[in-house]
Amino acid sequence: MTAPDPTHDTHVPPDATAHVCDRCGRPFVHESQLALHRGLDHANGLSPDERAAFETAHEEEVADLRRFRLLALATLVFLYFGFLMTYAVVT
Amino acid sequence: MVPVSTRPRRRVGRLALTLVLTLPAWAGVAAAHSGGLGGATREPLAVPTWLFLFTGGGVVGVSFLLASFVTDRRLVDAVHDWGRPLPTPARALRAVARAVGVGVLAVVVAVGYLGPETGVRSLTVLVVWVAWWGGYVASTYLVGNTWPTLGPFRTLAERLPSLDRTYPDRLGAWPSVAGLLLLVWVEVMTPLADDPRLLATVLVAYTAVTLVGSAVVGADDWFEEVDPLARVFRFYSRLAPVGVVDGRLRLRLPGGALPDTVLDGRDDVAFVVTLLFVTTYDGFVATGPWASGVRAVEGVGVPPVGAYLGAYLGGAALFYLAYRAASRMGRRRAATYLSTDYLARRFAPALLPIAAGYHLAHNLGSVLVLAPTLAAVGAAPLSPPASPPQLAGLPSWVGGLELAAVLLGHLLAVWVAHATAYDLFPSRLQAVRSQYGVTAVMIGYTMLSLWIVAEPYVAPPFIAS
Repeated sequence: MTAPDPTHDTHVPPDATAHVCDRCGRPFVHESQLALHRGLDHANGLSPDERAAFETAHEEEVADLRRFRLLALATLVFLYFGFLMTYAVVT
Repeated sequence: MVPVSTRPRRRVGRLALTLVLTLPAWAGVAAAHSGGLGGATREPLAVPTWLFLFTGGGVVGVSFLLASFVTDRRLVDAVHDWGRPLPTPARALRAVARAVGVGVLAVVVAVGYLGPETGVRSLTVLVVWVAWWGGYVASTYLVGNTWPTLGPFRTLAERLPSLDRTYPDRLGAWPSVAGLLLLVWVEVMTPLADDPRLLATVLVAYTAVTLVGSAVVGADDWFEEVDPLARVFRFYSRLAPVGVVDGRLRLRLPGGALPDTVLDGRDDVAFVVTLLFVTTYDGFVATGPWASGVRAVEGVGVPPVGAYLGAYLGGAALFYLAYRAASRMGRRRAATYLSTDYLARRFAPALLPIAAGYHLAHNLGSVLVLAPTLAAVGAAPLSPPASPPQLAGLPSWVGGLELAAVLLGHLLAVWVAHATAYDLFPSRLQAVRSQYGVTAVMIGYTMLSLWIVAEPYVAPPFIAS
């Protein structure tokens, strides 16, 4: 058992183009992931471009999260009523 | 793992029953759960088994969905970063604790050979299964890991000269996985809870192997990589509220250290998964389908021990492969270049609260019921009363506590996976998706465990217990 390793343990397929963080070397699949990573883990010393990229990625992330929450809520409601009905029918 | 006919899984059977009954109506639950251990007759399930299983799986799935609503990174971090320093115990206290540990081991072994031969009148059986396995083990995840000090094996080993041979690194912690499998195999296949002589012999053998092993490779490497008990307690204590940081005691939230825990390799992952598996196997061999299955293969000429061993090793491998598959699924769903190995090592600690929850639920009732027995037998270990006292029954809220232990274990597991994912991934949606695999594993494990406890208890055929 050890503390989390900041460099992580990664495996990039040979034919893939990774977006690599120029500060810590961690590769990402999508550019937006790299932009978020820079804003979260290397928040000090972001260039204006990087900051703008982080903010754009952050806004997209919030929008995606909102969509996910709606889906999750729908699933919860479905599960709740599903179980309620099933119990009503079975018992 | 309790003396005589008081196998805990029957209690858990009724416990799980209450889990189902709880969802529609909590009120009726407690009354259905009486505290008596032996001769338990199972109440029939109020709902069909399939619905029972889906309800259990559904509860885990719903808690995953609910956790996914917590998207504030600072809140997630604040929960597991909370901590306060604690005073460190004095050296004198530690010396006393070491002496107590070795003293208890000596008394337990001596009484095992010299004392009464019936399980429930034997101090050896009661100390090992009730006080130690039921009570003490719970303290390692509820309070903190005192085993490095109290454990008699390490205290003895450190007094002996060491050959200091280099521990072969390529073995990693795999010997401890084998050791854990062997210990539980012996526990399942032999009447360890009924036969004090046998139990004392196993204790002596364990001590001998430990002392020889640590004399060869040195105590540090032995207890770090090989000794299964030391490792079980070290893993369990990662979810305890008292931990050691930089050599000092520190108070933290239960489970707070788990999201920051990275296991060292596949060997550690296999150890955690094996810890979950052995609980399951113990219950699985006491189900009807297993009994008829093993009789059928015995009919075509396979020795029963072979069937048991095959299911044991095959099951352990299956659990491990299922967890690996879950890590691969998490990796694919999250769109990340982090390796499957690394994800497996990060998410495996989330399984520990589940193991601890089941351990507490298995043992709480029997510890309470047999505590007066332990006191009466402990007062006169060599000539205990003919029928030592037991608690006649437990208040109904004890059943509620056991239920709460299982539920809390699962909720904590879901939360730990959530916090781990937030620590790993810059995108929060990526973090949610990375948990699909491990959540699927948790749902599957819950449904399997519930199926086992919903099956009527059938004494495992062909083994002496």
